[in-house]
Amino acid sequence: MELKKLLEELSAATGIGHINSARDILGRVVSPFAETESCFGGLIARIDSGKEKTVLFDAHLDEVGFIVTDVADNGFVTASACGGIDLRQLPTREVVIHGKTDIAGVFMSTPPHLSKDEEKLSDLSKIKIDTALGEKAKSLISVGDFITYKPSFVSLCGEKVSGKALDDRAGCAVLVALAERLHGKELPVNVVLLFSNSEELGLRGARTAVFGIDAHEAIVVDVSFGNAPDLPASKSGVLGSGPMIGISPILSRSVTRTLESIAQSNGIAFQREVMGSATGTNADVISISRSGINCGLVSIPLRNMHTDCEIVDINDINATVELLSEYVLKGGSANA
Amino acid sequence: MRDLLKRLCLADGVSGGEGSIAEIIKQEIDGYVQYHTDGMGNIIAFKKGKNRAKNKLMLDAHTDEVGMIITSVTSDGFLKFETVGSINPSALLCRKVTIEGKINGVIGTKPIHLCKGDEKENPPKEDSLYIDIGAASKEAAMSLVSIGDFATFKSDYTLMGDDCVKSKALDDRIGCAILITLLKQEAEYDFYATFTVQEEVGCRGARTAAFAVSPDFAICLEATTAADIADLPEDKKVCCLNKGAAVSFMDRATLYDRSLYNCALNSGILCQSKKAVAGGNNSGAVHLSKEGIRTLAVSVPCRYIHSASCLCSFKDIESALNLAQFMCNKICSGDIE
Repeated sequence: MELKKLLEELSAATGIGHINSARDILGRVVSPFAETESCFGGLIARIDSGKEKTVLFDAHLDEVGFIVTDVADNGFVTASACGGIDLRQLPTREVVIHGKTDIAGVFMSTPPHLSKDEEKLSDLSKIKIDTALGEKAKSLISVGDFITYKPSFVSLCGEKVSGKALDDRAGCAVLVALAERLHGKELPVNVVLLFSNSEELGLRGARTAVFGIDAHEAIVVDVSFGNAPDLPASKSGVLGSGPMIGISPILSRSVTRTLESIAQSNGIAFQREVMGSATGTNADVISISRSGINCGLVSIPLRNMHTDCEIVDINDINATVELLSEYVLKGGSANA
Repeated sequence: MRDLLKRLCLADGVSGGEGSIAEIIKQEIDGYVQYHTDGMGNIIAFKKGKNRAKNKLMLDAHTDEVGMIITSVTSDGFLKFETVGSINPSALLCRKVTIEGKINGVIGTKPIHLCKGDEKENPPKEDSLYIDIGAASKEAAMSLVSIGDFATFKSDYTLMGDDCVKSKALDDRIGCAILITLLKQEAEYDFYATFTVQEEVGCRGARTAAFAVSPDFAICLEATTAADIADLPEDKKVCCLNKGAAVSFMDRATLYDRSLYNCALNSGILCQSKKAVAGGNNSGAVHLSKEGIRTLAVSVPCRYIHSASCLCSFKDIESALNLAQFMCNKICSGDIE
């Protein structure tokens, strides 16, 4: 399968609360290679090889967005955030309101002659969404409807692409490609792919799904901060330089070292991402599921996180697939 | 006119680089009028009507749009830029752009997760912004982009709401579309039409076009700020969507001819006063041309003007077209005080 095409389709899909076309697409593309079942808004895909040990791979399918809290007579909609939103970039941003139908909206912006220079963007309830529907808005949009960024996917230089929800559809694409790559091979372990929901609301979907899976070890595939002019090198990974292998007190040192040594022995470029505490990813909850699961973290460098123009490099996705595929074929971490 | 407006909006023409807009206009009006292009890039057209005009009238619309110009490339391949025309920093942040119609880019920013304190609430200053084309080095970037290249918002043309349109560059492709429409239909009287360059950088094209045409009267067809957004009091709204074309009595550049203003308001065509002394348009240059030209501005109300998401209503576009035609006949027939 062509990764860029898959990523474009996944980027355009919606994954927020019960509005979940991302799960439908993932189910469709992964089912030729794995047995699928749904779980708490997410999707589980199993590649059962009849072995004793089970290795879990997780990527979250949900994206950041908003939820409608008020619809005014003049057609302006007030929303609350679902996940971490950068308010500074909202004015004039286009969104899709998942009402009775999908409805186009634009976050309003105050014209220059009325805005003061020192005006801060600190209150989402003051940046309303313009539907241009006037009084008709109330018949089409209800309190509780979800809102996501309008999809728009573009190719940049080399193998870089930009779109919404690449956090963490990039990870989802890795899992799908991994399933395809492992298909038909004799595997030393059972593989479970978890496309989890509600990560952006506090790592919720993975918590319950992993309880039901009972894996021996797990690797979370997420995104992390990509290099940019205004970011220190110590806080970011370079796009195109391979996956970032996470190192953190909450992660299994054994899994982490196995990932590093597999990357090294297979000539797969990688970077290290060192975190002094929790990772802010599903690894934080998966590692303390049941009586504890040895957990690793592999992140794809991504720029402009949580906006509609996140950027990733397809080369990093391919390298991640290769790394995880070798990891499975080696039977995972020796000590786990 | 809707298909024409879409074509005009989707074409790129930052001030100083309006060539592709001029091409569309020439294709459209060819065969309907006599026209020529002047040294600035303005298109100056003469429309032959059924009757000779008692007053010489010039109808104007500007072809340029706001955008960005590449000023340098950083050592790691990011493009620094300046805005061409005024654009609010929050309207720039995290926008997709197209450079010279061929290279995609994104105006990047530090992720909110890593912003501290005040940084989280204040849009970064324009000079700290950069365009990310995905180039891994300065050399890679320079092989695709040159200093001085123009960038425009990458934004589709979308119908939304209650018969409204969202697009980049509605300011002033709306004026261009209206003017083209007037040129392609039968006219009662002779009149001149100018499609002028460089409005957003100081109404420069209109200055030379007005000198060349040397009219008695002028009407500038524009898009203007509509501030009829949520939570603003009535007196701050300037003008509203769906209440017809906005007619100006005064802005930062022009005190408009009062009898033209009154004539427009009393036309019986749905229209509204622009209720603020704010902004400016080509009228500023045109009305001071030669010994002075009696000038009117007819503007389509536009929310979020100078952004990737300009929002206008077709009802207002229709009204502006009708009002322009009405005023055209009034002025040309000599039926104006």
